[in-house]
Amino acid sequence: MTGPGVGGSGQPVSAVVEGEAGGPLSCGSCASPVARGERFCEACGADLGQPAPAAGPPVPPEVATTSRTCRECGGDVGADGYCTRCGASAPSLRDHFTEQPAGWVGAVCDRGIRHARNEDAVALGAGSEPGSHAVLVVCDGVSSSTDSDVASLAAARAARDVLAVSSPQGVGTATTRVAASARALVAAADAANAAVIAHTTSGPGNPASCTFVAAVVDGPLLVVGWVGDSRAYWVPDAGDAQLLTVDDSFAAEEIAHGVPRAVAESGPQAHAITRWLGIDAPDHTPRTVSLDLDGPGWVMVCSDGLWNYCSEPHDLAALVATTGRASGPEPLRLAGALVDWANAQGGQDNITVAVARVGLTRQVATAHSTQPTDTSASQPKPPREEAGPDGNVLS
Amino acid sequence: MATFSADVYQNEFLPDGGTDVHAIVTVTCSGAGEAGQSGSGDAAEVVIVDTSGSMSGENIAAAQRAARAALDQVLDGVWFAVVAGSHEARLAYPQGLEPEMVRMDQRTRAEAKAAVTGFRADGGTAMGTWLMLATRLFAGVPSATQRHAILLTDGINQHESPEQLGAAIEAARGRFQCDCRGVGSAWQVAEVRMIATALLGSVDLIAKPDQMAADFGRIMQQSMGRGVADASLRVWAPQGAKVLFARQVSPTVEDLTTRRQEVNALTGAYPTGAWGDESRDYHVAVRLPAKAVGQEQLASRVQVAVGDVVVAQGLVKAMWSNDDTLTTRIDPAVAHYTGQAELAEAIQDGLAAKAAGDTDTATVKLGRAVQLAAQTGNDEATTRLRKIVEIDDAGTGTVRLRRSIDKLDEMALDTASTKTTRVKK
Repeated sequence: MTGPGVGGSGQPVSAVVEGEAGGPLSCGSCASPVARGERFCEACGADLGQPAPAAGPPVPPEVATTSRTCRECGGDVGADGYCTRCGASAPSLRDHFTEQPAGWVGAVCDRGIRHARNEDAVALGAGSEPGSHAVLVVCDGVSSSTDSDVASLAAARAARDVLAVSSPQGVGTATTRVAASARALVAAADAANAAVIAHTTSGPGNPASCTFVAAVVDGPLLVVGWVGDSRAYWVPDAGDAQLLTVDDSFAAEEIAHGVPRAVAESGPQAHAITRWLGIDAPDHTPRTVSLDLDGPGWVMVCSDGLWNYCSEPHDLAALVATTGRASGPEPLRLAGALVDWANAQGGQDNITVAVARVGLTRQVATAHSTQPTDTSASQPKPPREEAGPDGNVLS
Repeated sequence: MATFSADVYQNEFLPDGGTDVHAIVTVTCSGAGEAGQSGSGDAAEVVIVDTSGSMSGENIAAAQRAARAALDQVLDGVWFAVVAGSHEARLAYPQGLEPEMVRMDQRTRAEAKAAVTGFRADGGTAMGTWLMLATRLFAGVPSATQRHAILLTDGINQHESPEQLGAAIEAARGRFQCDCRGVGSAWQVAEVRMIATALLGSVDLIAKPDQMAADFGRIMQQSMGRGVADASLRVWAPQGAKVLFARQVSPTVEDLTTRRQEVNALTGAYPTGAWGDESRDYHVAVRLPAKAVGQEQLASRVQVAVGDVVVAQGLVKAMWSNDDTLTTRIDPAVAHYTGQAELAEAIQDGLAAKAAGDTDTATVKLGRAVQLAAQTGNDEATTRLRKIVEIDDAGTGTVRLRRSIDKLDEMALDTASTKTTRVKK
């Protein structure tokens, strides 16, 4: 039996339904009212197939037009998704989109090459002052389940919205701020889980589900929470990079039992995750860690579409360094270049990369110094686990 | 408020190296309302009746009844005038020093009908002068955005040169639409079709005078039901592509290709006149530079524009594939209307050859027409063809011209040649 919902089994990408002339618009997927110019439905996350809004978060003009410029001839892409000059088919806004609420953060979410649709999602929030406060959320929809693309975007945005208002933002001691961020991450995972369930259609098939990883930058403090196998890395300019998350996956369990990472992550069950968000999730409480950011570097949150090709932290750091030299230090360009790199490796999965450039505020005076003199940077501090695998932060 | 929709029927798959994309676009208008009521402008109607000497007797009485039937259908408030046509054009109503139109109301309707009753058959035929007067009348009512005329004739345009008629048609083009009717068998279908085609109207035969009134009433009623004064079909094709043709294929076949008006370098507009609640089908063919197998692109945006506002759009796509099962399929709608357009051409070519005394060509063309009518299920065309040719084998198009043919049957086949049947969906 198929439910009556429009998004039941078809493509979730749907057009805006025009009202009477000048009347209200509604989402073609869930019929909720939407504002003119909205890119995605606020209610269900369906791609509305409209141009990026003119108003909204401060986005550099060249970024705002990126997804609306024809990749083949440079002409403008029409509202119908085809170039107005050469007719080439442009990727839909759900298949490739970017986020950049402030200039020091950036994210690119891309369908990749092999998958028919993009079930990854990303949502960012950031204060305008570099290094002040940022939230990076990535959710990777499980491809064997129904409507995971709609659910993952709704989840990422719900989590971002919770973290944007409930994070401490520089109030209290470091310890209380970390604890507050960890509590906010639990609330964010709750909201994300509720969003996934809200977009789960009844009927046969696997219910919608997705992973969850969120990084909260609070000045020099970083707190990360996750469910599943989407990851957070800390890539300092100097010193060793660190993988901050431990995948909730079959491969991670094997690694914990001594199987080399390269072997475990290429096994037949490598991508089977043991925890996720969704109506059938046994436990969606995020595990959390925190880290003091004591120098300039990149906070990165990504889906397995990237780390499949570059799992080890030192490999990722080398990739960021190489890619960054070509793309420059602009966060959105770096994220885009890393996505392009993953596509060049085969693009076997959806690819999402979100980065935040941190630790620069105090470096401005010595911006020309290429070698930091602080030798302690070469000795990374281990991240503090904020909760055990049972996820009980408050214990 | 009128709403338009555009539905596309096509096979978007092209073989490796394929370049030509064909699509049928069905444009549907609903909620059109009544002429002159939409708030975007007034409506205006001119009734043109042939009052030449040949109309004397039964015909002129029937023409008076027909004109009165048409006037009865004109809505109150619509601008109108009545023209009596012979070797010159006379403004029968309203009568004044200068040619001008009046609004329909109880009084003007009664006066106009009385004026029509005074028609007398006298003089020759110069249809160009009739069109010139109508053009002047419409120009006097700038508030009228929907301008339509009915023209009735019974004879050949003898009292002016073809050049004079041609110039009058060009002066009228785009100024008003004109539905034309010929009564009896003494008029020339090709001559009247030239007027109707240029002025976005229909042409038809009224075989018997007593059918005239009902036909005129119906034409005017249809015109009054067209609440959208003017719409155009816009065809966008990508840079480097070429629009091979654009033609209306239902309810009648009309080639629009040469009527293209440039909107921008990639988009052409083709005038389609006024719209009521109705559907019309268009066949658009675009030639693209071939792309690699697996690539997709837009071949055309087919749009409906009212004024400068695009109110509906259909997308014609191209996708290159090396899967023969996908690329060799011909869309049923495209196949149907390709056959119907060829049918219209075969009938007209066959009748023209017959008129020129070329029996061999006429037999071949009309044989092909019989074959196409059978293939596309156009039974009405088959019935009309059967009155002109003996059909030995419809499947192969083997026919013989009949020895005695009623002129009216031949004219009926000619005027109806462009009428198409809809594809069964």
